Amino acid sequence: MAQFLADRALNLTSSNIVHLSRLAEKFNAINLAEGFPDFPAPPAIKNAAIAAINADFNQYRHVQGLCDQVAAMFETTQGLKVNPKTQVTICCGQSEALVAAVLAVINERDEVVLLDPSYETYEASVKLAGAKAKHVSLDPPNWNLDILRLENAMGSRTKAVIVNSPHNPTGKVFNEEELADIAKLCCRFDCLAITDEVYEHLVYTGTRHRSLATFPGMQDRTIVTSSISKTFSVTGWRIGWAIAPEAISSAIGSIHEKLVDSAPAPFQEAAVSALSSGPEYYLNLRAAYLDRRNLVCEMLEEAGLSVQYKPEGSFFVFARLPETYPLKDVDYVAELIKSAGVVIVPGCGFFHADSSSVDSYKDRYVRVAFCKNTATLLSAREAIRRHCKKSKGSEPAIMLTASYGATEGSTVWCISCTKSGLPNEFVSAV
Amino acid sequence: MMLASSCSLQWPSSLDPAKVVVIGEQARDNLAFPRGIVARRLLSALWPSLPCSRSPVAGWGIRRQPLTVMASSVVDDGGGLSADSVPKAHAPQISRRLANLKPTVFTKFSVLALEHNAINLGQGFPNFDGPEYIKEAAIEAINTVGKNQYARGHGIPALNASIAERFNKETGLTVDPEAEVTVTSGCSEAIAATMIGLINSGDEVILFSPFYDSYEATLAMVDAKIKSVTLRPPDFAVPVEELKSAFSSNTRAILVNTPHNPTGKIFSRTELELIASLCKEHDALAISDEVYDKLVFEGEHISIASLEGMFERTITLNSLGKTFSLTGWKIGWAIAPPHLTWGIRQAHSYITFAVATPLQWATVAALKSPDSYYEELVEEYSARKEILIEGLKDVGFEVYEPKGTYFVMADHTPFGFKDDTEFCEYLVKEVGVAAIPPSCFYSNPDDGKHLVRFAFCKDVETIKEAMGRLKAKLKRPALISS
Repeated sequence: MAQFLADRALNLTSSNIVHLSRLAEKFNAINLAEGFPDFPAPPAIKNAAIAAINADFNQYRHVQGLCDQVAAMFETTQGLKVNPKTQVTICCGQSEALVAAVLAVINERDEVVLLDPSYETYEASVKLAGAKAKHVSLDPPNWNLDILRLENAMGSRTKAVIVNSPHNPTGKVFNEEELADIAKLCCRFDCLAITDEVYEHLVYTGTRHRSLATFPGMQDRTIVTSSISKTFSVTGWRIGWAIAPEAISSAIGSIHEKLVDSAPAPFQEAAVSALSSGPEYYLNLRAAYLDRRNLVCEMLEEAGLSVQYKPEGSFFVFARLPETYPLKDVDYVAELIKSAGVVIVPGCGFFHADSSSVDSYKDRYVRVAFCKNTATLLSAREAIRRHCKKSKGSEPAIMLTASYGATEGSTVWCISCTKSGLPNEFVSAV
Repeated sequence: MMLASSCSLQWPSSLDPAKVVVIGEQARDNLAFPRGIVARRLLSALWPSLPCSRSPVAGWGIRRQPLTVMASSVVDDGGGLSADSVPKAHAPQISRRLANLKPTVFTKFSVLALEHNAINLGQGFPNFDGPEYIKEAAIEAINTVGKNQYARGHGIPALNASIAERFNKETGLTVDPEAEVTVTSGCSEAIAATMIGLINSGDEVILFSPFYDSYEATLAMVDAKIKSVTLRPPDFAVPVEELKSAFSSNTRAILVNTPHNPTGKIFSRTELELIASLCKEHDALAISDEVYDKLVFEGEHISIASLEGMFERTITLNSLGKTFSLTGWKIGWAIAPPHLTWGIRQAHSYITFAVATPLQWATVAALKSPDSYYEELVEEYSARKEILIEGLKDVGFEVYEPKGTYFVMADHTPFGFKDDTEFCEYLVKEVGVAAIPPSCFYSNPDDGKHLVRFAFCKDVETIKEAMGRLKAKLKRPALISS
């Protein structure tokens, strides 16, 4: 259950996360927090892995065939030709590809620009390299990019901009104009771009995912990272890659070699088959996810949240709490666990930018994953409906107040019940 | 996962405040945190407002007062280039940390081996596969819903428990699988996570030459200072005086690889006790790479963590790959007390985040292997070792018989080549056998240039064929008659 902690979407201390997770387990909550499917991986890819294990692809290996497939797929989807021998590095998931890329090009005291809200590991990777992260906020409700704001954040020390599209947590797919503007700025400031495109195949309603690398002047200054995890529902296999200009790719390879030496061999083999899937696979994938997206958006709106921006990509919905809700996102999440038995992610952990305007909304959002069986989502919808019925009327069944404070270097998370007479178990989880 | 907000600090709950150490000399700049937790860079990654002074390591001590945190503003360490001194137009795209990384010798000789159709006794991985029951366990996991998705970052509970159980069986030490075991993507990642998580830039780390090349590379990546102590033939014994003088008040850690790649040495109890006493005297960590712990032909494998007073300062590393002939699966682990594990886990979470789930499940099955598995493993490797050693001696090598691992070092001087690289190039091109020139595993390459490393993790026919080629084509230079 602690898996949803690994998403690191919570800017809470681990004791708080553990606490929420324990609550979720205790109430047997339906998990719409974690960013991985609860349905099986496609049979074809599993069989490919099994075949690889049986055919003794179990020792260290460099699987050039996988590099070839990655390059081929990149050319098919993005129209860019890359050399699979010199420009592709297979890594242990996109996670490792990103940190290897960062360590390969970022020096101490460099600056790296991140677009907020953002997945937490970007900042952590930047800091691991001893560099400074600068956050530029995207603006709600549609998470538009204010290009002047980005420009003001860039300067002579900017080494790279990290762009995640389709975007976690908002589901935004950066449009052509935004990407073109980002590209122009990267060229002007002579900096690199590192992209996270793991949701590249999860785009809906005619939206097209275009890689930043395809824009003028960008091919020689972009590192594209992605993986098979989300596309093929195998987040636990750890197969990802980085595509970069030759010199940078070689550097990424060197770092990768020192970090992990290689990605799991049988899954590299299986990925070769997976990446040669025909277009029907991707069409079906998108159709299935689109249905789920619509279901979850409806569910949330029914519950009183507002889905101001229906995600065009990824498998997350970033919904805004009802304006009348008096407390914070973390409180809402805790309440939902207890009362509805559904767990989602408070959005505050994704907001890093320091500004009063961000402060005004940073604890008003929650992230809901729809990479789940339809049955799971339907159960969640039922549970939330019941919860809403319960809480309609003047007095909430349980009013939770949450506070956290720092005392002597430790952080205390308290949930107290304001309704008297509740059994002790509701207050014991501190 | 812990990313504390900028106004609060979070301590791992398992910490004992009595073990807090103050770093730095000025009270204003000091931050109290337990010794051996994490590298400074990791701290600043996690706690952006943390005051961290760049004071030298000298001056560390154990503080017995209660934990205090000075909430002063960030002290700019100010070392090195100032913010504006590097003109942007000339800034290289590649980071400076790459400057310390060298291309590996393995790639070169693997490529040569392929080109010349040579039998590859260079690369340290088997040309046979692991047991069926482990592969079946992986397949079963792949076919189970949920087991193809992200595992818990530091390992699936069942595997952590198995690792703890095995460690207990072997060393008698009881470790907490939840707080003291971390699963990583191979021992490679365990090494990287240990270095990134626990070693600061400028720290001194002692290595025994010859060493597995990734030690030097990862230490270079974290900008540590390597102090090398050389093991020499015929028995590669630890040189006591050299070791003692390598330790200083700046020593952060010593890395021990036993059984040892490439020499096949097994560190004796006496040697480990010496290392242990020096670690305790200098308050240094021991990083123990024990991936070949089941490949012991003579003597006994001892985990330094089991020596008195050592568990609290030891990181024990191991993996699935060598023991079960599944080197491509990349399942490894680190066992360390909570305050060290914490640093390793933080680094690990940023390196690979999680480890291949179905293969972790299979490793649980692997670690349940009966004793007979390990006995057979040793028997089979013994047989291969014999064939190799006989064959090498037969053609004129001076062979240093290994007590463990599946490597053997031999002296190629009788063949008249100027150094190991030249010898190995000749061997692969003209004789059709690939081996590894080990001089790059030494701090001083000269120490290794008369040696060559052969691997016997190959099936018997392959080894026999290789020996046949040596016999047919590798000749000593004719003696010049006067």
